[in-house]
Amino acid sequence: MSEPKRAEASGGPSMSGFAVQTGLFFRRKLLETLRQPVWIITGLTTPVLYLALFAPLLRSLAGGPAFPPGQVLDVFVPGIMVLIAFGAGMGAGWPVIWELDSGVIERLRVTPASRLALLLGTVLRDIVMFAVPGAVVIAVGAAFGYHVHWSGLVLLFVLLALLTAACSATSSALGLNLKQIGSLAAVVTGVQLPLTLLAGILLPLSLGPTWLRVLGHFNPMYYAVQAARSLAAGTVATGTVGLGFLVMAAITLLAVWWGTRAYQRAMA
Amino acid sequence: MSSPPLPAVQVSGLRKSFRVAGATIEAVSGIDLTVAAGEIFGLLGPNGAGKTTTLRILTTLLPADAGSALIAGADVFRTPLLVRRRIGYVGQLGGADKEATGRENLLLAGRLYGLSAADARRRCAELTAVFDLEALADRAVRTYSGGQRRRLEVALGIMHRPQVLFLDEPTTGLDPQNRANLWEQLRLLREAGTTIFLTTHYLDEADQLCDRVAIVDHGQVIALGRPEVLKQRYSADTIAVAAEASPAVLEAVARELAGDPAIASLVVEHGTIRVTATDATRAMAAVFCALASKGVPTRAASVARPTLDDVFLRETGRSLRDTGTPPVAAEAAA
Repeated sequence: MSEPKRAEASGGPSMSGFAVQTGLFFRRKLLETLRQPVWIITGLTTPVLYLALFAPLLRSLAGGPAFPPGQVLDVFVPGIMVLIAFGAGMGAGWPVIWELDSGVIERLRVTPASRLALLLGTVLRDIVMFAVPGAVVIAVGAAFGYHVHWSGLVLLFVLLALLTAACSATSSALGLNLKQIGSLAAVVTGVQLPLTLLAGILLPLSLGPTWLRVLGHFNPMYYAVQAARSLAAGTVATGTVGLGFLVMAAITLLAVWWGTRAYQRAMA
Repeated sequence: MSSPPLPAVQVSGLRKSFRVAGATIEAVSGIDLTVAAGEIFGLLGPNGAGKTTTLRILTTLLPADAGSALIAGADVFRTPLLVRRRIGYVGQLGGADKEATGRENLLLAGRLYGLSAADARRRCAELTAVFDLEALADRAVRTYSGGQRRRLEVALGIMHRPQVLFLDEPTTGLDPQNRANLWEQLRLLREAGTTIFLTTHYLDEADQLCDRVAIVDHGQVIALGRPEVLKQRYSADTIAVAAEASPAVLEAVARELAGDPAIASLVVEHGTIRVTATDATRAMAAVFCALASKGVPTRAASVARPTLDDVFLRETGRSLRDTGTPPVAAEAAA
């Protein structure tokens, strides 16, 4: 008996079927975003506003302990990139709750579609929602004096795509488990501040006291920020970068496993 | 090649309980039933009777605590993916993506079941024609009326030509015209060979649409069979004939009628003869004959057919119409 026949007998999907399904869900989610031009506009303007309104404040710090002279944007741009990745991913949970309430998820769960594909459709859309504004920030930043290092830049996008994926899968899992917009909003805004502050996104943690720096080491995003700064500066082959990829890959796997499990069990 | 005639649905000893606020509630407590291929089968019962929970178990959405369930021979618990390929599902919530167009919804559903892009387009054209959705196909579902959305949702459930179509309270919230329309579509589907398994709390839906009905209460099947058989088994037609005659004359008529095989029992009250009939037509003729032989003119006559509510009443002591737990909440929580 041939392989495909046995897969059919047990009801398991084939790899090509899985890829097609992921593509179909990705397209569905991308259309969902394109139908809401507001999100596209704020998605693009917010990071640029950060550059325009926050970066001038940092200029007066140039030459201080954390900022080598003339490299304010080199420190700040990777921070904004991490922020965009976090925001692009964490938005995934809201539509999940609407889809639970309207029965869309229940209907999709009765189809033979892979639950992992269902999750990855959203994850891939969110990666696009990070990458496009991210590219705009790099372009605008470069115009304002950020030094682009091409070798590091590609890896920077890969690293932060992993962070987006982890945030997106986590947000979907939270939405499926909490089921209420209010609860999801409370959890997401509740973790956002400590996570971003303890990652040294806006201001490097090296400015803070020892206890703050120690605390930062328990935050997975801290490793992403450290690696992102290193990559943005063009230093690719460092332990910081390796550790950043290792931590991001681990939390992405964990979050995708959690999100898939949540889709397997989801009930309105 | 014809496949062996497997039952469309085979359920035995199905049980499911939920923990709600520290207490264990048994939503399904030992359901057994078999649905033949090509039937329209209905689960009739009040809200909270366990209908939706049963449907969710059969459609692979919920695990059961005990029992077995086969859909066209495929085990719901061991081979859920195989079951998913064979069934269609139209839930209470509908499940159409409201921001997408009807066509996008249909094409996605078709592709997820493995249709090629071309096959999905063909099938979509076919179904939009059958369900009268062609003019709406490229509009966002959010702009559809309730009846239009329900038609789309049924179309979504049958894109892949499932062997068994499950529908949870399919006509709730529909006006009478849309309701009749949907019944007609379901009958056409059955004629095309699809088995239909639905839940309802409407007596007339179970009675007129379903070939066979299982009446459920507190997670158990309390009566199962063809609606007309159930009604005859548990209850009978009642005839009332009002006549212009003295009580003494009517008593004489009553004596004459006693022993007629079509009449189960007979009482006279307030100038009206009330008959519980085993055969309404013959009993009616017998009453008219007896009255005419005494020269008594009749003023009014009526026949009341038994309903499935009489069956429910006899089994539970309650009327289905009175079991008014808040809609949806009781079962949606489950």
